[in-house]
Amino acid sequence: MKSALLPERGPGDRLTAIFWRRPRVLLAVLIAPPLLWLGVVYIGSLAALLLQSFYSIDEFSGLVVREFTLKTYGELLRPANFDIIRRTLLMSASVTLASAVVAFPIAYYAARYATGRWKAVFYLGIMLPLWSSYLVKVYAWKLILAKEGIVTWVADSVGLGFLLDAALALPGVGGNSLSTSFLGTFLVFVYVWLPYMILPMQAALERVPKSLLEASADLGASSAQTFRTVILPLAMPGVIAGSIFTFSLTMGDYIIPQIVGTSARFIGLAVYQLQGTAGNLPLAAAFAVVPIIIMLIYLSLAKRAGAFDAL
Amino acid sequence: MTAAVEFQTVSRHFGPVRAVDEVNLSVAEGTFFAMLGPSGSGKTTCLRLISGFEKPTHGAIRIFGQDVSNTPPNRRNVNTVFQDYALFPHLNVRENVGYGLMVKGVGRATRNAKADEMLALVKLDGFGERKPGQLSGGQRQRVALARALVNEPRVLLLDEPLGALDLKLREAMQDELKALQKRLGITFVFVTHDQGEALSMADRLAVFNHGKIAQIGTPEEIYSRPRTHFVADFVGSSNVLPPDLVQRLGAPPTWASLRPEALRLTAAQGAVLSGAIIGLRYLGAGTRVTVAVAGAEIGVLVPSGAQLPEAGAEVGIAFDLADLHPMEEA
Repeated sequence: MKSALLPERGPGDRLTAIFWRRPRVLLAVLIAPPLLWLGVVYIGSLAALLLQSFYSIDEFSGLVVREFTLKTYGELLRPANFDIIRRTLLMSASVTLASAVVAFPIAYYAARYATGRWKAVFYLGIMLPLWSSYLVKVYAWKLILAKEGIVTWVADSVGLGFLLDAALALPGVGGNSLSTSFLGTFLVFVYVWLPYMILPMQAALERVPKSLLEASADLGASSAQTFRTVILPLAMPGVIAGSIFTFSLTMGDYIIPQIVGTSARFIGLAVYQLQGTAGNLPLAAAFAVVPIIIMLIYLSLAKRAGAFDAL
Repeated sequence: MTAAVEFQTVSRHFGPVRAVDEVNLSVAEGTFFAMLGPSGSGKTTCLRLISGFEKPTHGAIRIFGQDVSNTPPNRRNVNTVFQDYALFPHLNVRENVGYGLMVKGVGRATRNAKADEMLALVKLDGFGERKPGQLSGGQRQRVALARALVNEPRVLLLDEPLGALDLKLREAMQDELKALQKRLGITFVFVTHDQGEALSMADRLAVFNHGKIAQIGTPEEIYSRPRTHFVADFVGSSNVLPPDLVQRLGAPPTWASLRPEALRLTAAQGAVLSGAIIGLRYLGAGTRVTVAVAGAEIGVLVPSGAQLPEAGAEVGIAFDLADLHPMEEA
């Protein structure tokens, strides 16, 4: 007669038995390494950074004074530094907004209509630019946007050169050519971060069942009403997730503004220069805290506005 | 009187598939009309043609006499209770019910009052603040019903609304829906694959098969006089007898149907139909006995309490010739 129990086959079965009797052991084994990594390496260095920002620099010796002070944060409010923050914030906000507007139709199409092969084409199209080097892409854009570049050439040859000139003549964002204006920086930022907006948006839209849109129409809503009252609220968590990427990536980037744009500095570049050549680690740390604070404010506002209600 | 819903040779093709194939249909105002059929028979597509989510490939659809071929769903005075209920997860129950009024520009106070009134109608008083995710299947179903009815539609469409509920709840909802329809006097068009549901609730029903209507009539007509083999089989599993067997029984040689509950088991000697018992299936209220008669298998419903023969025994089958109903086709 067969036994009620199957024979134990070795250490694998013994381990399985231990995990079955104590599920928490398995959890602990799985979670300990990443927790250590995040806790010590990541949060630890972030705390060290935060600590630095409360130190200050001695203006004569250039040495870091290890005493708690809010003086360094006060320096952020100096016009030259505050300009950097304002400029970065404006750029991040406009890049995020533009990415959301451009990404939505693409994400919507991919989530609603693309099937089989077209879905694969969509993913490839979105991901392909992410596979090539970021630097190569940015330099390519520099050439595309240059005064002798293809954008100017096309605009001139179809007789729309005046539009380009008008855009470049805009005060504040214009410049000599696209590659040396804020407009150019903005375009490259939107191009580079767009996939990070499309993918979470598409994931959120995919979770909206078609029957909800039909129910909305059935109850008398026009397409615009359905978009405003059903699609947008349900896609909001995805939009927010995408905007966290585009917003924080733009705020921290120090390469793109160096290659395409004016010589005006952004937070990333300021941090880079302050901790390097200037040797002002406390101010660099204080600058680095700014995006963190802004993201926290942004997320709490989004939460209060109900952006995560559909989660 | 103009029909509430009328199909004039309506077809809906999806590529080579004829989901709905030249259907003619007329639903009288104020009736509870059921569309019954197996999955893929075209009944749901017909419902979607009425609501406007599908456009007919050919033919015309009229709602209260008006051709709606060029009318989008949001301008049709019909509302749907969806199979998955399709409640908006980000809105609470009251906002869900008031949605139709909201998009029509009705003010918040009126909207909320009407929504609460509707929630009371479906016995969900006090649930207005909850989110759909916090409700049970039966409660969601009621919210979906309230959300559709608050718009006072002229036709209410129900797409297998009871499919996801358990048996007890389903039976209770069947009674409630029927009572609600009587009370409101709205035309209900109800799609189901459950023949019992269709028979018990509908005033009239259409049996769908392969995109066509196999038969249309009152539940009584459909049940006792199925016109085709398919209807006989699908609605209550009637026995279908081939023409030669029917002729032997002394009737004109056509295909004919015979209800299992109209038959009695007798002794094998002297019976017109006789054979060996090849199956016994206990159904609670009775037992369905399958007898292998020359050329056919015949099911006999023996009520509980009556004496049951053993499997394999030779038995005869007795019935009134009046219960043998000729059919139009096999």
